[in-house]
Amino acid sequence: MHPHRVRPARAFALPAVAALALAACSPTASGETATDDATPPGSFPVSLDNCGFETEVEAPPERVVTIKSSTTEMLLALGLGDRIVGSAFLDGPVPDSLETVPAVEEPFAAEAPGSEATLELEPDLVYAGWESNLTAETAGDRETLARLGVATYVSPAACKEDGYMPDPLTFDTVFDEIAEVGSLFGAEDAAARLVDEQRAALDAIEPDDRGRTALWWSSGDDAPYVGAGIGAPQMIMEAAGLTNVAADVHDTWTSLGWENVVEADPDVLVLVDAAWNPADTKIETLESNPATREMTAVKERRYVVVPFPATEAGVRNVDAVASVVEQLADLDR
Amino acid sequence: MSPAIRRSRLPTRGTSPSRPWLALPLAALVLVVSIGVAVTIGPADLTLSEVGRSVATHLGVGGALGLEPLSALRDGMVWQLRMPRILTAAAVGAGLAVCGAVMQSLTRNPLADPYLLGLSSGASLGAVLVLLAGVPLLLPVAAFVGAVGALALALSLAGALGTITPTRTVLAGLAISQLCAAAVSFVIFWSAKGDAFREVLSWLMGSVASATWTSVAVAGGAVLVLGTLLALTGSVLDAFTFGDTAAAALGVPVNRARWILLIGVALLTGALVSQSGSIGFVGLILPHAVRLFTGARHRLLLPLSALAGGSFLVWADTLARTVFEPRELPVGIVTAAIGAPVFAFLLWRGNHR
Amino acid sequence: MPTTQRGLTAERVSWGIDGQLILDDVGVLAPAGAVTGLLGPNGSGKSTLLRVLAGVQQAGRQAASGPGPTTTFDGADLRALPRRERARVLALVEQDAGTDLPLTVLDAVLLGRIPHRSLLAGDSDADRAAAHTALAAAGAQELADREVGTLSGGERQRVHMARALAQRPRLILLDEPTNHLDIAAQLHAMRVLRDLAADGVTVVAALHDLNLAASTCDHLVLLDGGRVVAAGPVGEVLVPAVLEPVYGVRVDVLTHPRTGRPVLSFDRG
Repeated sequence: MHPHRVRPARAFALPAVAALALAACSPTASGETATDDATPPGSFPVSLDNCGFETEVEAPPERVVTIKSSTTEMLLALGLGDRIVGSAFLDGPVPDSLETVPAVEEPFAAEAPGSEATLELEPDLVYAGWESNLTAETAGDRETLARLGVATYVSPAACKEDGYMPDPLTFDTVFDEIAEVGSLFGAEDAAARLVDEQRAALDAIEPDDRGRTALWWSSGDDAPYVGAGIGAPQMIMEAAGLTNVAADVHDTWTSLGWENVVEADPDVLVLVDAAWNPADTKIETLESNPATREMTAVKERRYVVVPFPATEAGVRNVDAVASVVEQLADLDR
Repeated sequence: MSPAIRRSRLPTRGTSPSRPWLALPLAALVLVVSIGVAVTIGPADLTLSEVGRSVATHLGVGGALGLEPLSALRDGMVWQLRMPRILTAAAVGAGLAVCGAVMQSLTRNPLADPYLLGLSSGASLGAVLVLLAGVPLLLPVAAFVGAVGALALALSLAGALGTITPTRTVLAGLAISQLCAAAVSFVIFWSAKGDAFREVLSWLMGSVASATWTSVAVAGGAVLVLGTLLALTGSVLDAFTFGDTAAAALGVPVNRARWILLIGVALLTGALVSQSGSIGFVGLILPHAVRLFTGARHRLLLPLSALAGGSFLVWADTLARTVFEPRELPVGIVTAAIGAPVFAFLLWRGNHR
Repeated sequence: MPTTQRGLTAERVSWGIDGQLILDDVGVLAPAGAVTGLLGPNGSGKSTLLRVLAGVQQAGRQAASGPGPTTTFDGADLRALPRRERARVLALVEQDAGTDLPLTVLDAVLLGRIPHRSLLAGDSDADRAAAHTALAAAGAQELADREVGTLSGGERQRVHMARALAQRPRLILLDEPTNHLDIAAQLHAMRVLRDLAADGVTVVAALHDLNLAASTCDHLVLLDGGRVVAAGPVGEVLVPAVLEPVYGVRVDVLTHPRTGRPVLSFDRG
């Protein structure tokens, strides 16, 4: 009975297909450059304060390396797939709703790429999902890349510096990022359309109103790594009408002892499905451990599964909310 | 000499004047060639001619040779990424090998390495503190201060126990290492945000990936100044071969010599650690391996260890850059992967001689 | 007032650690060109005395009151000499000095040349010649290319002796140079000492074996509990009245039929 649960991506992507298809059909997807996309001239160069580092581009980036799913899917959703010269460290397949490109279908690195491998693609911008993708060991630290004339941009929701880390992350933050990426690429109109669509889709969701509590288990076995009070998990659960039992921890994610999990005894368990830590395995763990076996959510098998790429701030969060709400409704059938 | 006596297990070595001194220019040549070859190897598909053009341009002979400069990005890959990294690896490898040889002789302990006095743990503590505090620019300074601080602690601990004997030095260093390591773990556990631990981890394992021309200047300068001074102390270290009393009887001021050499090793190691993190096994293995060829006399051992250590780390880092392309490994993982079995082999060989 | 005399003269030597006096007001007279034996039971302070005389004993405390100790050699104050200069006058052969390092015998002997050359210099031809001479004098020439770690006890002792000789000392101090050696090696070692003395070197050797001392030494100093209990020519020190209270055994002194030197026989007291 699990198999259909652990692959919810297709199921929940459907409502959004129409919306995203619109974006995919925007003029930028048809091979024209963003500067032609009715962007008033004079908005370049663009300079942004990105996680405390200055991101500066003279003209809309034409050769982009994306690292992680969130950034890759952001560009695809904006119809900027043709700008991607290389893509790496993808967390899972691109949802069917997004039109993909060869550089994404065949990522040049399965994990965080090194600097030479990245620079070999001669990018003018590296767009990274995590700050740690831009270090000397990985694609290169930001100063070095800047010195080599390569701009860097980190998904703002992933900033860790005080004052930059979203506290808490909200859908407004996510939509602001879409708009910011739009301005960085001279694709303001496409970004505005995408935000409108996402906002409409979000507004159309009827949150679960039964006041259920939930725990968001992301990874980790010894001490589960769970969604805490200010990150994407909290944002998604809140929008879906769930009360996060770990909401009082002031962090994006946090480690929690099993004792605390059992004590909290949430009504629902939200399980993240990642290739390296699938939801199936999580369920097995829960049902085989004598302590967790007795939790209400486990006994009632109240599991909600979310694919990992949808759990980081980005264009799939709204779909994730819709999927969670749908799965919650299904639980009582 | 009777044939029976000459039938010793190792190739007899050492004292004929012609052979050992040939080893130095040879090792220097190997190092230069290693650097030259390593710079042409990497995950990026740069051709030999591209690398040559970049290097020639920066050495100021590109114009004279009528060479066309590379695109800024491809040129940067050679001259801003590979070159500083390889030269830093060479300097760090050379320095660690010299420091290791000095420490092994000074403490008369074959397991001694440059980090013996808690230097790497102290440096790690300093580095981790600034990394997690989010001021990575201060990292080299903090690492250096941490290293020298740990040394001061270890030496005062050893000194507080009485004369600084080899055993006390080792024990005090061990105590300080453990203390700093515990502090590092605590700090990481307590305050690492998100995936900041990744950066810390790669630093703890030792890496020259972030090397810039500044790193080349710091590590190279430290090796040229302190490393050369240490390499000149061969006779003093020779005198320690049969212990402190024997050294004193040969006219060496034992305590003063030990202090000065320990501080020299600490300053050099601190400077290296500040640029590369603590890369293991180079300082432990290289002196042992070189001794197999030179014997225990330091006049040849020290400079030869330096040259061999430089070449070794250049190649270890080349592996780190390319083996799991497009991913890169911290070079410390590679040196450990090579070093541990080599060390086991040396131990085994030592037992079967 | 100490007269200027060839050889070693030490007076008022005291040394202690942790409040315990190991040497208490010791005086030693070792003439040049003679072998002086340093005798005494275990723990009587022989090794410590040698190290203090050599100026290599670290830490510890001298006795506080009274005039300080003096050690003069050929009229010069040994303590006042700079270390390296002292190392060119005086060599010390320790007990059981070993090393784990791969070192050839010739390299080990060349260490003895360190006080004679600049710290930056390598081995000169003169150094190598001196090392070979020392090896020959110690009877260890055939060991030159061997590795120190592979030598037997007797061979190693010869190498240490050669290393000391490479220092070209005028005063040589030896701590139990015959320890762990078989009888042939013991006699060989003592032969080397006699040859040195014949060359005018001042030889001071701490010895365990009273018969070896009886057959080889010219002068003896007997220590007990850190104090000198007897000193003088062999015939005056190796007598039952002196030895019996120190060692707690019965001693009979015979005369060697060929050499006329004393031969000692012991019984439980």
